[in-house]
Amino acid sequence: MAKWGMVIDLDKCTGCQACTTACSMENNRLPGENWQDVLFYHEGTYPNVKLMWFPRPCMHCENPSCVSVCPTKATYKDPHGGFVLMDWNRCIGCKYCQVACPYGVRFYVDEKAPVQPDIRTVFPSADGRVWDPPYRGPQDDPGRGIGIQPHGVVSKCTFCYHRVSKAPAGIADLDEDIPALKEYVPACVRTCAPKARFFGDLDNPESTVNKLIADKSGVRLKDETGNKPQVYYLSGGAAASVPSLRSMTPSDPA
Amino acid sequence: MEIIKTLLSRRRFLQASGTAGAVGAAALGSGGVLTALKPVRAQAASPPTYHATKITKSICHQCPARCGIDVYTTDGRVHAIYGSSEHPISNGKLCPKGPLGTYILYDPDRFKGPMKRTNPQKGRDIDPGFVPISWEEALDTVAGRLNTLRDKGESHRFALCFGRGWGASCAGLLGPFGKLYGSQNVPIGHSSMCSDGSMLSKAATDGNASYSAYDYRNANMLLMFGVGFLEAFRPYNNNMQVWGYIRGERVPKTRITAVDVHLNTTLAGADRALLIKPGTDGALALAIAHVILTEGLWERPFVGDFKDGVNRFKTGQHVDPGTFEEKWVKGLIEWWNIELKDRTPEWAAEITTLYERDILATAREFGSTRPAIALFERGVHAHSNGILNGMAVHSLNALVGSLFAKGGLMYQMGPSYGAMPVKEDDFMDDYAKSGPWKAQPRIDLQGHEDGYLIAKNMLQEVGPNSLAGKPYKLDTVMFYLTNPIWTAPDGRAWEDALKEVFVVDTSPFPGETAMFADLILPDHTYLERLQDAPTYPFQGWPMAQLRVPAIKPLYDTKYFGDTLIEIGKRIKGRTGEYYQALGDSENVIRHLAKGFETDPGDNGVDSFDSWKEKGVWYKKNYKWRQIGGAFFEWDGKGYNTPMTAEQVKKELFKTDSGRFEIRSGKLEHHADWIAAKTGRDKDKLMFPHWEEPQHPGGGDLYMVTPKAAMHAEGRGANLPVAIANFQPVLGGRGTVYIEINPKTARERGIADGDLVRLKSHLGSIEGHCRFFEGCRPDTVVFPMENGHWAMGRWAKGRSPGHCGEITVNQSDRVTGQCSYYTTKVSIERA
Ligand code: SF4
Ligand code: SF4
Ligand code: SF4
Ligand code: SF4
Repeated sequence: MAKWGMVIDLDKCTGCQACTTACSMENNRLPGENWQDVLFYHEGTYPNVKLMWFPRPCMHCENPSCVSVCPTKATYKDPHGGFVLMDWNRCIGCKYCQVACPYGVRFYVDEKAPVQPDIRTVFPSADGRVWDPPYRGPQDDPGRGIGIQPHGVVSKCTFCYHRVSKAPAGIADLDEDIPALKEYVPACVRTCAPKARFFGDLDNPESTVNKLIADKSGVRLKDETGNKPQVYYLSGGAAASVPSLRSMTPSDPA
Repeated sequence: MEIIKTLLSRRRFLQASGTAGAVGAAALGSGGVLTALKPVRAQAASPPTYHATKITKSICHQCPARCGIDVYTTDGRVHAIYGSSEHPISNGKLCPKGPLGTYILYDPDRFKGPMKRTNPQKGRDIDPGFVPISWEEALDTVAGRLNTLRDKGESHRFALCFGRGWGASCAGLLGPFGKLYGSQNVPIGHSSMCSDGSMLSKAATDGNASYSAYDYRNANMLLMFGVGFLEAFRPYNNNMQVWGYIRGERVPKTRITAVDVHLNTTLAGADRALLIKPGTDGALALAIAHVILTEGLWERPFVGDFKDGVNRFKTGQHVDPGTFEEKWVKGLIEWWNIELKDRTPEWAAEITTLYERDILATAREFGSTRPAIALFERGVHAHSNGILNGMAVHSLNALVGSLFAKGGLMYQMGPSYGAMPVKEDDFMDDYAKSGPWKAQPRIDLQGHEDGYLIAKNMLQEVGPNSLAGKPYKLDTVMFYLTNPIWTAPDGRAWEDALKEVFVVDTSPFPGETAMFADLILPDHTYLERLQDAPTYPFQGWPMAQLRVPAIKPLYDTKYFGDTLIEIGKRIKGRTGEYYQALGDSENVIRHLAKGFETDPGDNGVDSFDSWKEKGVWYKKNYKWRQIGGAFFEWDGKGYNTPMTAEQVKKELFKTDSGRFEIRSGKLEHHADWIAAKTGRDKDKLMFPHWEEPQHPGGGDLYMVTPKAAMHAEGRGANLPVAIANFQPVLGGRGTVYIEINPKTARERGIADGDLVRLKSHLGSIEGHCRFFEGCRPDTVVFPMENGHWAMGRWAKGRSPGHCGEITVNQSDRVTGQCSYYTTKVSIERA
């Protein structure tokens, strides 16, 4: 069985946030409930300023701290594929997992919405879910945290389980540029225009994701936590796209 | 690591502060803590319905890129949009706006059918009292007014203004309407409020009044001036695909220098980022040209050379024109003598505030890396000196020989469309041919001595001119995909103007202009339309997309092309007959597709039906190429057929000389007028040269208002997911800040996060500021798209307000380009 992993090449990432919006729409997220987010930061003083960023989905940790703190086993590691999923029928909304996750990728939305007016009042749900937009996707699997959540539970990136789990067995990589595979590729990966995101089987030594990690020395975010993320970042430099020739100080020799 | 910790918690939906387990994991299992929590209630899974999913090939509508999209519809609901794998622009990918199209379709604020105004009073925040009417009544009302005007010999008092036209079945219908009905004001496009400055700069130098097409993938260096390549430049999605390739895969990696007035992702990702003073890009380009010449880096096979091969370009020294033999350029030595010889990097450093060493390094790299492209857009030319800046930058392409070269830039070919079902020329009555309307100028004074003689369009002048009655007052105005009350600078003038005019809006959505409308004739939203769209300049080879409806219209709306045809049918006489013969928009599109029968696309599209199925027709061969200073035509196998100078003049350099004119014949023809209106030196105005830009507004800081990646054309402000992520660097989660350099703020007693007021002599807007070291100290930066007052429930009143309220209506007198980026404002604590 595959152990799915994602590779994000920061040398190619443009910080466009298409991954974020594609995830939002594919997975019917509320505005601001960014299962996938792009985090921007900057350093230095004018004119010697560096602007940097990195995209961040759930890491689908091999050793997920969210799972170990969950009192009801609502969040769990799926042995078939290595997804870390939510069972909304078990989740009691205690948010321990949200505190325990070192990567800030878990969401509890039964609070004031960051974008007002609250879209939940515009598209209310008739059957106990948080909302029901007219463009809701057809997938619905509350036992895996897929579809629109009921009230009072935590939500998170599923690694697009509803797509990936249907992929033919034994596939090394889910590459959106291969027409026969594109429907199985996670939304954020499929949409990424510069092809900064890759998705494949970390247990398959032949997979592109493994080659990329090896060739470009993939790193895991906050590896010191011991969570062992299944998401790897590639970077030729210290951050997203590192400018090498920018102005330093007026006194610098030409 | 602190930064990661902060970041990882900053943009959560909400902080985890309300955690039941606030006392920590120790509380686990203690029982009581959990009782207050939600009772577990089983949710049954709905059965998967993927089998019923239909995929429609269409095209995105949220920017000019025209990406091919696959629209997923299941059980009559559109629920997903992905890029079409088979489409040459999208290649299966999307930009961040692409997936949001479903919001646009299901926008709860949409107009649901035709309506008329019942409140005769018009104004901001005055309820128009719209009531539903039938399409019959709506169309009859418009046609009735138009017929009356024509009977009175005042048909010129009807104007039709449009913004994002798509193709022959919408914008393409407007020209014939104006001719047949009899109004020079049908249509007036918004190009002057878009990027005419670059079109006119190109027209002035190489004779092509067009945006360029680019061969980025084969270039070894890109020098970008104010283009927002990774935020907004068309075709954005494809630009990012290019970026991934040239920066992450290509060997050698393409070098990139990006010049802009604020720190954005393009600058961050570039090898060299030059944060230039607004309006001074021309000075930088002149200095680069100076270095290319003095250091002998120009492309001799294209430009020409000194007859004896000895470089006489020495700083400050005159060159004898007789010593140089020009090849495909005209006026190089004159340019050197009249302007360039003194334009040293040291001089430009003073003007641009860049470091001399950066200018020199950029010039050397650009001058010695082939192929290289210098590209520019509004950042460069949306200033009073825009034409000069644009010509200066574009001349760099001539100096390094990248025009029509591999890895260079060129112009877009059109598709092999079939003829329209009928010719308008066969339906011209006497009124159309020689009615009194013929004696009138255009309302925007485009093409007129008193206005903008050389400009293409002057939409920003329509409102103010009508208000002033100069040259006359409009009676009726119709809008298609444009919202000038909001998009024009100083929109208040438009509000006053539209109070006295009968206004017809065709947007599917409420908007500021629609609130002044007397009639609403709502269009379909894009996922409901059948609409052709030839590509915007892309890679040069011809392509035409088709927008195919994914779903039946949700409401009682009508495609704009059909609205126009239906109005046309109701015009008396020959005009009505023409529209009867035209039929409807689908008939037009079917006739366009006939052209593909004899010229099938590379993907096999050879008919209306196959076009509809695949969504795009294209042929991937560009017809011309310049190789080492010689021009060749494609012969089916390669660029093998040499072109004569006459052919080059006809097809490529459409100038008087048939060469790239650094000394612009186009400007020279209007030298007296330009000199009179701009005060420019008659001997110099036809050359790219330095002129201080005029910055109106009365403030001390440049107001920089970029288009953000999340800015979906016309609708970004009302898309909740876009709002949540609109300003990624400082904002997010629904907030947008005014970015300010900390030093600038502190000097004015402003603290990080303060509520501030931006003022020009037109008025003021307010918002919260954030300190950002990526801001030049002489600027304030915030994205355009906020502060709508009638766009819908989510758009309403978003801070920090609308830059247009305090942007002065100033245009480049030559290109007509609206100078959006040139107003200076002051800032104070609110
Ligand atoms: S879509 Fe790709 S390029 Fe854009 S932010 Fe996400 S990872 Fe980066
Ligand atoms: S990133 Fe957080 S939520 Fe995701 S598996 Fe790891 S600990 Fe759990
Ligand atoms: S894998 Fe799927 S759920 Fe996870 S961030 Fe990407 S799109 Fe969202
Ligand atoms: S907004 Fe523009 S670039 Fe983005 S997907 Fe649509 S057409 Fe393409």
